[in-house]
Amino acid sequence: MVLAAAVVIGLAAGLTRAWIHKRPYQTPSLRSPWLVFFAFIPQLAAFYLPRLGIRVPDQWVPFILVGSQIVLLYFIWINRKVAGFWLLGAGLALNFLVIVLNGGMMPISPETVRAVYPDVPETLWQVGERLGNGKDIVLPESETRLPFLSDRFLLPEWLSDRLNFTVAFSLGDVLIALGVIWLLWQLGGLEVRSTAHLK
Amino acid sequence: MKTITRDLYLSAAKLHSSKVRVVLFALTLALFAIAAGAPEAGPGFIR
Repeated sequence: MVLAAAVVIGLAAGLTRAWIHKRPYQTPSLRSPWLVFFAFIPQLAAFYLPRLGIRVPDQWVPFILVGSQIVLLYFIWINRKVAGFWLLGAGLALNFLVIVLNGGMMPISPETVRAVYPDVPETLWQVGERLGNGKDIVLPESETRLPFLSDRFLLPEWLSDRLNFTVAFSLGDVLIALGVIWLLWQLGGLEVRSTAHLK
Repeated sequence: MKTITRDLYLSAAKLHSSKVRVVLFALTLALFAIAAGAPEAGPGFIR
């Protein structure tokens, strides 16, 4: 949701910018965009559709997550000349690194889990196990490789109170969100010209 | 999958609708961000 919100914010900013400068909003031509859908579908089934996700064994999760992120890394590579993709790629690479080094899932500390899910009984999650139906594995920081890249950041308390929920995110998520916002915003400022250079 | 999305993009071009292209681009970015990111959010804990 948080990263999807970045798309909404970036798109609104970019469209507004294009409108103010009376320029068309020009999207770049992407190579093999179908790779993104191909990478997303396994994650959709495993993490975002509860009835399907419950049937996915925890042992499959690292392969689903790492496999789909490898596909996304390839997508970034073949589109590396698109302005802003380097920031998306950096965020993805940081997430990929910490996920691979920690058994194929994003590590999250018990303290962070308690902050994100204060009402969930601690009997429903365990250290060393997958957290719910998500991409995270609960690991103490002392047992986490590169803990500064894990899901350790929380929304400010005033924002959490206003939204009535909180979220734990990583440094990689921050770069991805910034990359999305910047990419969509700067498309609103492109001069009207041939699109050949965007290919 | 490749054929479906290629046809989708070709159809968007044929429609000469920049709005459709913007929507498809934004959708591609959104799915990328969701798949590449790993934020853990509550409520949503299901076991």
